[in-house]
Amino acid sequence: MQDFLAYTVLGICLGSVYAIAATGLVVTYSTSGVFNVAHGAVATISALVYWQLRQGWHLSTPLAIVLTICVFAPAVGIFLELVVMRGLRDTSEVTRLVIPIAVLLAINGLATWVWFRDGSRAIVPKKFFGEQHLQVLGQAVYYHQVIGVGLAMATAGGLYVLLYRSRLGVTMRATVDDRRLLMLNGGRPDRASLGSWAIGAGLAGLAGVLLAPQQGALQIFALTLLVFDAYPAAVGGRLRSVPITFVGAMVLGLTRQYFDWVSHAGQSWLALRNLRNAIPAILLFAALLFLPQGRLRGAVVARTRERFTVPTMKQAVAWGGVLIAAMAMLQALMKGAAVISLANGMALSLMALSLVLLTGYAGEINLAVYTFAGVALIVAWQLDVGPTGLATRASLSVTAILAAMLVCAVVGGLIALPALRLRGLYLGLATFAFGTIVYQLVILQTKPLRGSIFGHQFTINLFTTGSLTVPRPHWFGIDFRDQRAFLMLMTVMFVLIGLALVGIRRSAYGRMIIAMKDSPAACATLGLNIMRLKLGVFMLSSALAGLGGLMWAAQQRTLANNNNFDGFASLLLFMIAVVGGIGYISGALLAGIFLSVLSVVMPNIFIKLGSDYPSLHWFFVTGIGNFTKFVGPALIGIRLGKNPSGIAQQVMDGFRPLKRVPLGTAAWASSIVVLWFLSWRGAIGHWTFALVVIGSVFIVPRVLMGMFPERFEDVANAGQEDPDLIGLARPFQRHDRDRFDRELALPGHDRSRSDATS
Amino acid sequence: MPLLECQHLNVAFGGAKALNNVDVTADSGAITGLIGPNGAGKTTLFNCVTGLLHPSSGVVVLDGRDITRLPPFKRSRLGIARTFQRLELFSSLTVRDNIRVAGEIASRWQRPRVDPRRETERVLDLLALGHLADRDVTEIPTGMARRVEVGRALMTRPKILLLDEPASGQDEAETEEFGDLLLQLCADGIAILLVEHDVSLVMKVCSYVHVLDFGSTIARGTPNEIQANPVVLDAYLGADQEP
Ligand SMILES: Nc1ncnc2c1ncn2[C@@H]1O[C@H](COP(=O)(O)OP(=O)(O)OP(=O)(O)O)[C@@H](O)[C@H]1O
Ligand SMILES: [Mg+2]
Repeated sequence: MQDFLAYTVLGICLGSVYAIAATGLVVTYSTSGVFNVAHGAVATISALVYWQLRQGWHLSTPLAIVLTICVFAPAVGIFLELVVMRGLRDTSEVTRLVIPIAVLLAINGLATWVWFRDGSRAIVPKKFFGEQHLQVLGQAVYYHQVIGVGLAMATAGGLYVLLYRSRLGVTMRATVDDRRLLMLNGGRPDRASLGSWAIGAGLAGLAGVLLAPQQGALQIFALTLLVFDAYPAAVGGRLRSVPITFVGAMVLGLTRQYFDWVSHAGQSWLALRNLRNAIPAILLFAALLFLPQGRLRGAVVARTRERFTVPTMKQAVAWGGVLIAAMAMLQALMKGAAVISLANGMALSLMALSLVLLTGYAGEINLAVYTFAGVALIVAWQLDVGPTGLATRASLSVTAILAAMLVCAVVGGLIALPALRLRGLYLGLATFAFGTIVYQLVILQTKPLRGSIFGHQFTINLFTTGSLTVPRPHWFGIDFRDQRAFLMLMTVMFVLIGLALVGIRRSAYGRMIIAMKDSPAACATLGLNIMRLKLGVFMLSSALAGLGGLMWAAQQRTLANNNNFDGFASLLLFMIAVVGGIGYISGALLAGIFLSVLSVVMPNIFIKLGSDYPSLHWFFVTGIGNFTKFVGPALIGIRLGKNPSGIAQQVMDGFRPLKRVPLGTAAWASSIVVLWFLSWRGAIGHWTFALVVIGSVFIVPRVLMGMFPERFEDVANAGQEDPDLIGLARPFQRHDRDRFDRELALPGHDRSRSDATS
Repeated sequence: MPLLECQHLNVAFGGAKALNNVDVTADSGAITGLIGPNGAGKTTLFNCVTGLLHPSSGVVVLDGRDITRLPPFKRSRLGIARTFQRLELFSSLTVRDNIRVAGEIASRWQRPRVDPRRETERVLDLLALGHLADRDVTEIPTGMARRVEVGRALMTRPKILLLDEPASGQDEAETEEFGDLLLQLCADGIAILLVEHDVSLVMKVCSYVHVLDFGSTIARGTPNEIQANPVVLDAYLGADQEP
């Protein structure tokens, strides 16, 4: 009994910190509709800033706290709202999730760059009042923890007064319900948003400072994940209710501590320790099961800004041919290391293809693509290699691939089930939780699973030695252990799957998927069983993720269990896929190439420059090279807010006019072939070739348009249609109002007012 | 027996009652009007009938069957189709595909199966949307977009069609033509429940009219009776509404 009470006290201490973190999330969500994934990153960087002020620069504790919690963190929140989040209105749920992911990666990248760029370094945050503690029922309760409980109480009380008793609070709650109505009634939604972001970020900072000492030496991504642990509490409160979130946080804290109690501080046995780490994710699933179904979402009133055009099957086949030919020519030019980078990119592109179906077409979210890769890998390994086999000898078999895809589809279906009734965001969160559970309970297991079914003994090897080695295929008499051959195999697979996806998109099934994304409510009133369709799409896309993941694993050959599976890699892949242009096959291609080029090639270029010019070493290596490595991809993600349809769309828009100048386009294409030939023969450098080609992609369309202005009059005049007809020929839209404001030199109206289309 | 019967429907949003013991019926082969000032609860009633909203009490009966507990897609399969006041078109698709996909959805559950492609062309003709068929649905004027919604609903070959202000955004000539279309549809045996602010259209096509105000039925009767009813006039003038 005494133990029970003692662990209850500890549970309340832990729950208090979760409560602070989770209510911060709720405050921002309930006013802006943005699920701020970056909450954990704000917490982390605040903990680092606090450490810097307190232990680095020896400021007094109160001063350091005030500067961190009341100045730095709210400033970050305000900055985010002003610069990034405000651009998210009228965008889809996917975009509204991707941008915070990008912010998360950017903040963590920045923190890494500032504090850890020279590799590991021990930053050990101290508790308030150090190790001083009370004895409560035989358990040590640190002053630090007591302070946490006090602050949680204060937070709860403060938020209650703020949200339900103050004018600002009423405005904040009204903001997300109906911004326009609020403005008509004289509310100031922008100020309310700023306030909520400042408060939310302040709470994140507080949570970060309180949580940081738990870890010993501070690790950026691990601390961010610690804050993620609080998210299930917010989900339990439907991301809106502060009181339920508070209760949820307590449940979370207590569950964890009781678990420790029951498992006798079960740190000794790995399986149990990992189960402890998976508790928040498991509770998240539980919360999803009990959440009431929301109302069916209708179409977004103001049209979302994402637009994707669909290629015809003929065009798709032609582009597929071009891709295979281009890849064949490209790899012939490149050296071994570059071929590997390219192949890595192609493998990632294959994984990203699953997201084109799921996210691009259906508007749903999967934040655990790498987890499916892991599952597929384990299945295929059992079939093709087995505990006694040698992966380097074996060939990846078609049976194993199909089995892996099947298992992924089933697993995907199971995790999607509880979230199908709910909005897309919840499915995304469910996949993230699933990723955490699989990571903790399967991928980190180093003991094989043994058992018997109907008398048959079986052994399932997980990452027994901490890694798995995957065979490459040996098909049609070709040994794909050869890197170039494997690159071409993946390219062909990419094209075939891509064509299949375009086929789906153009079929009745594809139209239904699009319709479901555009207006679930309308679909339901036409007799569509939305849940079944969603389930089908999710299973299909899980299978594709498994297939792509298997190819990616085969590309890596030996895969360790420690990276790629902890969730952040999946977040990054998802983000880059959306940035690339999630509605397009080419978007997936760009995403894969991007990821591998940005993370490997770019830093290498700068390291080379740094060693060539030692006096500028810091500038090239630390300043640009590391910075692009740590922060670059995330910055690209943040830019997405400006053009939510992605990069593929931009590139295609650039090319579309070229159809009008077939001769010029042909000349350009053939000069690339000639250049390639020269480069292949060694007459010009490979890098020169690459730079010229990439540059020409952006320059040639402009040049051609400049040379034949008469053929592009309508393109140049787009958006200059007769203003008298706007509103008659088509509905009056926001950009029209902006244009009128601009041309009439009116002071711009508030941009948040949604357009009056009906 | 009427095709659709709503009995004692109650819906509240927070403290405000959007529907208060409302009874509405609709017969096959007839157009039933549902009118009332803004905020009277007309759209809320549609949401209850189609299952997008659950009433706190009351029942919805279709063809003698209690459908109050059925999810929206099952109700649609029993023959209910609707349009939306705040347009719910599939904004990534063209006009033709908006209509066609409805047929494709329907052909998954409907027997006998109709070729969606051929049916699409028929409906495009019926609604005089042929010249807009390949346009993006976001580019066309609101009045035409409302017709697309009607076409989409027709693709399920419903027994009853719920239309939520289908004429707003159409000009006078188009409305006239649209009224004739509605009469033609109900001559084929469909029941139509029409919410409309254009009184002349309601008077022209409806055989029976229900009037809602603040969530309660304040009058019902033939168009002529309604027009003469002082309570109705009061509701409209009092609410300071109606163009
Ligand atoms: N989701 C909602 N939340 C809160 N109140 C709502 C909601 N939907 C409708 N209401 C309220 O219910 C009442 C009835 O609304 P409803 O949309 O049914 O009116 P209506 O008769 O269709 O009006 P209109 O002619 O303007 O379309 C209104 O007072 C409205 O403000
Ligand atoms: Mg209405």
